[in-house]
Amino acid sequence: VLQQARRHLLVVPTAVLTVVFFVAPLALIAVYSFGSVNPVTLDVFFGWTTGNYREFASTLYLHSLLRSIFLSVGATAICAVLGFSLAYFISRQPPRAQRLLLVAVIVPFWTSFIVRTYSWVDLLQNLGPIDRFAGAVGLTSGHLSVLYTPTAIAIGIVYSYLPLMVLPIYVSLERIDESIYSAAADLGATPWRQFRRVVLPLAMPGVIAGSIIVGIPALGEYVIPEILGGGKTLMLGNILADQFQNTGDYPFGSALAVTLMGVLMILLFIMRRRQPLQETA
Amino acid sequence: MDMTPDTLSTGISRRSLLRRAAAGALALPAGAALLDAFAGSAPAATADSGQLLLNNYPGWIGKSELAAYAKKYPGHSVKMVTNATSSVAEVILQFKNGGYDVLLSDTTDAGQADDAGLIQKVDWSKVPNIKKVSANFRKAYPWGIPTDYGKVGIAYRPDIVGEKITSWADVWRLAPKFSGRVVFINLERDCLGSTLKSLGYSANSSDAKQISAAKDAVIKIKPHLQAFLNTNVGQGLVNGSTAIAMDWDYDVALLKQKQPKIEWVAPKEGMHAYLEGFSVPKSSNNLEQVEELLNFMLDPKQYADFVNTTGTAYTVPAATPFVKKTIANSPILKPSAAVLKRVEFDHYLGAKGTELFAKAWQEVKAS
Repeated sequence: VLQQARRHLLVVPTAVLTVVFFVAPLALIAVYSFGSVNPVTLDVFFGWTTGNYREFASTLYLHSLLRSIFLSVGATAICAVLGFSLAYFISRQPPRAQRLLLVAVIVPFWTSFIVRTYSWVDLLQNLGPIDRFAGAVGLTSGHLSVLYTPTAIAIGIVYSYLPLMVLPIYVSLERIDESIYSAAADLGATPWRQFRRVVLPLAMPGVIAGSIIVGIPALGEYVIPEILGGGKTLMLGNILADQFQNTGDYPFGSALAVTLMGVLMILLFIMRRRQPLQETA
Repeated sequence: MDMTPDTLSTGISRRSLLRRAAAGALALPAGAALLDAFAGSAPAATADSGQLLLNNYPGWIGKSELAAYAKKYPGHSVKMVTNATSSVAEVILQFKNGGYDVLLSDTTDAGQADDAGLIQKVDWSKVPNIKKVSANFRKAYPWGIPTDYGKVGIAYRPDIVGEKITSWADVWRLAPKFSGRVVFINLERDCLGSTLKSLGYSANSSDAKQISAAKDAVIKIKPHLQAFLNTNVGQGLVNGSTAIAMDWDYDVALLKQKQPKIEWVAPKEGMHAYLEGFSVPKSSNNLEQVEELLNFMLDPKQYADFVNTTGTAYTVPAATPFVKKTIANSPILKPSAAVLKRVEFDHYLGAKGTELFAKAWQEVKAS
């Protein structure tokens, strides 16, 4: 019993950290979401109103939520396709090359996220290198005009989050025993059938983990839309940030955050229900 | 002898990045705002030590200003605390949370703080240098010392546009022709305020119909806009990817050094402008020393140090002999009296007006 109690003690530091830095702030946000604010003094009152949630139900905010979901799902899907190809390629290399390629995937994280995002402004702008190249090889007659569009936001999200997709998929692929490929081939499976019936199902936990890691932050993303969207695409993350920074309406901002969390939890629940099915497929 | 080159400093663009940033490292201030609101946290006050606590933009002070103050008043000094952004909510929290003796705030922030009862009155007899500030600035910023201002006007490339732009109406007329090459400012007071001016209304209107008309005008031009930008607004004018920009004067003055073909227009309908200054939070217990500091800051030589370091448009004409020629002789940063007459400084619109602007702006963005 004493040994068991000691073992439980090991969990205490992590539990305290989790409660103080994750559970308590989330609870604070949830409490705030039912409050109201004096717009002059920015004092918050806790009258337990549901007004903030009712306000969220307006078309303006719902459209922003849908836009955020659409962009997030789209960017996650692109990340999954690109990430899978890259992870599969890496996993089929000799061990030394694998290590080098993995470092190459991680290297961009050594540079500031903001700097990396701003660099896309220079790359995507009209008369920028990509625009000039497209013009020189005859891909465009005028300008690309990609910067400050939803496409630029999607490019920014895919670029920033791709490594987060590659790594869990790589881990899943790397665990597949080499003999399984041989067995599938011996049983007459074509390379495509091998991939579809053997590799993909076995790598699915990695794909799902990657989709969660990419999809969650992408849904609340507001820095990339702000920098690459040119302020023309209103995402929920931008409205949320505005409530805290400019308007000072912390209760409404908190209600947006709680709603966003709710949407994410529903999506996660759906994915978790799908995961065992994929694993047994 | 000051060997500083007579060019505008990059402090302007750096300032614009920090002041106007809605992008960038925004998560931290947002989280900090919530925690501040919850905990009422504040930096430690330095009340009796002779050290004042000043909240300011990074680098938004004369190169030698604070050292000169400490030298002139032995035993007195200033500790400057800087913030990465200074959104309205954040400034109000700084006023509320105490700890600071002097705060940089614009007319909108200070107006709201005053309405909330968070500003301490200055005894102007202890700040005789306030008389050196032009009357229009003192009137627009009565809470403290007005230090700098920025007008929102039009910047364009005549070699691309092919005709002279003189008004906001010209921008709306030419936008379809230069679709995708027009940039607007990404701040509701500056963008909608300038649009209100274009429609012949006050930039400080809190009339729902007028604000709605301005919103519709921006929605109408939005399909032709390349972007709404907070930082490097007119950068595209340098390589010509942008033909016309709604921009701040300091940004245009800086860009014109890189690309002389850029022209600045003070539109005939008038201009919306911000005005910033230093004011004293109610919670400061060091008013007397703060008044001494404010008076020192307005000394023409010291004030010129601030202007030369930051490259801002200035409010103290007596500082002109000490100000860099590029600033003092710039028609952009130092406009004529006739142009200055067309400038309307923004002010706090009250809870209702602020909400109307915020809603209209979100509708513009969502359109």
